[in-house]
Amino acid sequence: MSRPRESDRFVRLRKRSAGARRWLERHALALTAVATAGVLAVMLYLPVGVVFVNAAFDDGGATLAFFREVLTDPFYVGALADVFAEPLAVRSHLESLVGWLAAISISVSLEYPIPGVSLPIPWPSLEVPAVRKGLFGFTAYQAVLSTIASVALGLPAASVLANYEFRGRRTLRSLTILPFVLPGIMVAVGFYAMFGQAGTLNQLLGVAGLGPYPFIEWNPLAIVIVAHAFYNAPLVARVTVAAWESVDVRSVETARSLGASPRRAFRDVVVPQLLPAVLTGALLTFIFTFMTFPIVLALGGLQLATVEVWIYDRVRQLAYSEAATLAVLETILSLGLTYAYLRYESAQSGLARAAAAPSRKPLFPDLRTALSPRRLAIVGYGLITLVVFVGPMASLVVGSVTDGGGFTLRHYAFLLERQLEGADYQTLPWVAIRNSLVFGVATLAVAVPMGVVVSVVTVRAGRGGTIVDTLAMLPLAVSGVVFGIGLLQGLVFGISLPGGWRFQVTGAVAIVAAHAVAAYPFVTRNVSPLLSNLDPAMVESARALGASRYRALRDVELPLVASGVVAGAAFAFAISIGEFSSTVILASGSQTYTMPVAVERYLGRRSGPAIAMGTVLLVVTAASFVVVDRVGGRFER
Amino acid sequence: MKRRTFVGAVGGSAVAGVAGCLTREGGENDDQGNGTGDQGNGTDEIDPEPETPDLEGELQVATYETMVDGEGAAGPWLKEAFEAEYPDAELTWTVPNNAINDYIDRERQNADIDADVYLGTNVDDLVRIDDTLDDGGLLRELNVDRIDNAERIRDGLDMGDPHGRVLPYDTGYICLVYDETVVDEPETLDDLTEPAYEDALLAQNAQSSDSGQAFLLWTIDAYGEDGYLDYWRALDENGVRVLDSWDESYTSAYMNEERPMVVSYSTDQVFANEYDYDMSRHQVAFPNDQGYANPEGMGIFEGASELDLAYEFLNFALSSEAQAVIAQRNVQFPAVAEEHVDLDEEFDQYAHVPPEAVTIGYDELRGNLDGWVEDWAREFAGR
Repeated sequence: MSRPRESDRFVRLRKRSAGARRWLERHALALTAVATAGVLAVMLYLPVGVVFVNAAFDDGGATLAFFREVLTDPFYVGALADVFAEPLAVRSHLESLVGWLAAISISVSLEYPIPGVSLPIPWPSLEVPAVRKGLFGFTAYQAVLSTIASVALGLPAASVLANYEFRGRRTLRSLTILPFVLPGIMVAVGFYAMFGQAGTLNQLLGVAGLGPYPFIEWNPLAIVIVAHAFYNAPLVARVTVAAWESVDVRSVETARSLGASPRRAFRDVVVPQLLPAVLTGALLTFIFTFMTFPIVLALGGLQLATVEVWIYDRVRQLAYSEAATLAVLETILSLGLTYAYLRYESAQSGLARAAAAPSRKPLFPDLRTALSPRRLAIVGYGLITLVVFVGPMASLVVGSVTDGGGFTLRHYAFLLERQLEGADYQTLPWVAIRNSLVFGVATLAVAVPMGVVVSVVTVRAGRGGTIVDTLAMLPLAVSGVVFGIGLLQGLVFGISLPGGWRFQVTGAVAIVAAHAVAAYPFVTRNVSPLLSNLDPAMVESARALGASRYRALRDVELPLVASGVVAGAAFAFAISIGEFSSTVILASGSQTYTMPVAVERYLGRRSGPAIAMGTVLLVVTAASFVVVDRVGGRFER
Repeated sequence: MKRRTFVGAVGGSAVAGVAGCLTREGGENDDQGNGTGDQGNGTDEIDPEPETPDLEGELQVATYETMVDGEGAAGPWLKEAFEAEYPDAELTWTVPNNAINDYIDRERQNADIDADVYLGTNVDDLVRIDDTLDDGGLLRELNVDRIDNAERIRDGLDMGDPHGRVLPYDTGYICLVYDETVVDEPETLDDLTEPAYEDALLAQNAQSSDSGQAFLLWTIDAYGEDGYLDYWRALDENGVRVLDSWDESYTSAYMNEERPMVVSYSTDQVFANEYDYDMSRHQVAFPNDQGYANPEGMGIFEGASELDLAYEFLNFALSSEAQAVIAQRNVQFPAVAEEHVDLDEEFDQYAHVPPEAVTIGYDELRGNLDGWVEDWAREFAGR
């Protein structure tokens, strides 16, 4: 071979590779979309379909009998059972509604709202005749209350984090997501240790000569709602902070220069830009708490059982048709709500803005400002967060180094010993930590492109896009128990194919795919509102100047919505770290267990080793969130 | 994953994209179907003892988490001792997520079952197998003649399976654990509905927890099928709290001093002693002088590929040494009679046996269990 020929080939190769790159660039979006669809088909629609089929088929024939059974059972749907039983008897339904309305009365009575303090307060009480809520009614009721509590606790945090500068702000912002990754049992342990009869709060009150109060026994529903807020307020805060930081400060300045008061400017300019994010947080919270399962039972007991609890029981009894029916109804409700929200979200678009992040005021510049009502309110809020968020987590850490009252390192010694001497069929702490981190990073790499692509595909597609977007939210709307059973039956056991083949997916790849499926809706929900607010003209001009759709996305759109992408990425990482139910199914019998799985496996007669592992989970996760946010912060402006 | 599952796996299957997604079915496990067929006609002796048993190979034993992963679990010892006794054998532990349900599911879907032995079935597991699969399914009828140590099993620990599929290897008793500084020992179950025990008792959800279900069955034994819900209504009015699992009611709520009494196990003091807990908070009560016995059984899967080793393992688990270790590490009572097992003095001192052990047998549970539990749960939930 002579040299000229070789350089010829080199040139040709370079041309070809440049061509391939151009081709890839032109089709990058389409390829990612196809890959996304593939992952979803195998990891989501197949398993869920495998279970859902049970709801509609009986002995091979299609049937609505299961739905009829559930919908006419007062235990499930309460007072609505009559309506479903005889949908055409409108007259009698209206009569009973009128009868119910007529029985409502209002009276005023003296109440003592502060326990232990005899301070009578006239209290208007609304006497509403009892309506049987049924399992669905109760589930929705507690989900609404939990959502209100989560938004109420999350918004102040978002406001402080977005508007004030103080030492450790960035770290605090990174750590807001921490509660999100804790396994349910850990939260229950933490809450009992914080709010229990002998808990930290009562000990603190004891110092002041108060209590002890049985906080959990007083009103288990209230404690469950606080626990839900513990999980979901950080979510609301995080989604909102991302939106707040991309509020265009110039539009606020314009409003101010036109004579608007700060309050007016906030109401008319900032609020409309935040609303989609706040509602996203509320929607996600509602769906999560609607599907809630371990927390209600651990803190509230069977009296507070939700639909998901019942699904779990039906699955355990191997009564799949009933479980699937309940799950389908649950999913329809969640997806309906999601669709309604998405219609609203897409109606909000059209404001052109380029992000010029608002500047932050120092939180406590001097003593006089620190004593202003607003700053004092922030201090008060800080105290609440100490009780609700820091308390349970700190109690966990304390629990990991105490035993029967005294200080001990025995629990950590167990972990160390297990790591050094454990057999390969046992759960080793380091393997769990390593797997969690590897899966977390891999999930990030898969879920972010998936989420962004779904955003891009749906944002400007109108009503059809809204439907696709709603369906893309399915991972959130479908029962975790049912998803797990679907993974087991569809992927782990495998599906028989013609010709004696069997289709099976297990192991690390399956776990990452399952995590990515669970996580990408968060990326989408963080990115879409921002993306739909961008001026379409910017993309169009980039395209007119010859950029491929991918380049326009990469160079024009993504930098403008970076805060949303980073927030979504952090969620993807968090979901992966905290995910339990599908991991435990896909990791069964192999070396692919994660930290939450290890926590559950160490739970035995004594909780010590499990709590120590949970503390390791907290520390490792906290450290990696700071890293994720710092790295992510480079892409934000 | 498992070698056997992946026999004949073909690489580079473009459709699946994930290596090892597509596997060839059938192969070694074909004899599974025959095993079931043979049992049907009942003319042959079940699992006749071979002249030269094959004691070589990998025995897969399915069990629950605490057997292998707990603090000082019995599993590692069992593996080591078994392998020492059978040098050509290897014991592999496997922990299914959803206990026996996983295997019932697999059987229903015609998926492979790798395990040879299941260690840790309750009577209600057998009921669930038979309610879901064919009667007498999943586990094989045992030829007890092949298990010499089986005759050591204590009287009254029979698990009552009409198909003879399981032998008990240990048992626990459900009872009440209470704080004597707060409440007195309840003499009867009726006492629990009295004002003295208002807001005192923590119980577990019978839908999801073994101890919760055992306590529910105990009340059914005491008050009858027609009376147990009334009793529970009375408990409810007296403020019983039903949490999800034993972990949550004991570890989270009881240990945090939420309430002075919890449905738990009669071996509680063994732990209290081992970890220097305050013994006054770990008193054991047997109302009605009873405790509900929950024997744990072991059996061999119908399609077991290491049949001879499986029989040896069952025999081994009932040997004196293994019984002592299982009892002490699992903190349960041994299944064999006293003269066949030597337990530490401390164990004898702190593990309490109820004057009368009650249990609802297979025949009564069959066809009733799900209904009882569901009726009970509907009484509490969704209100």
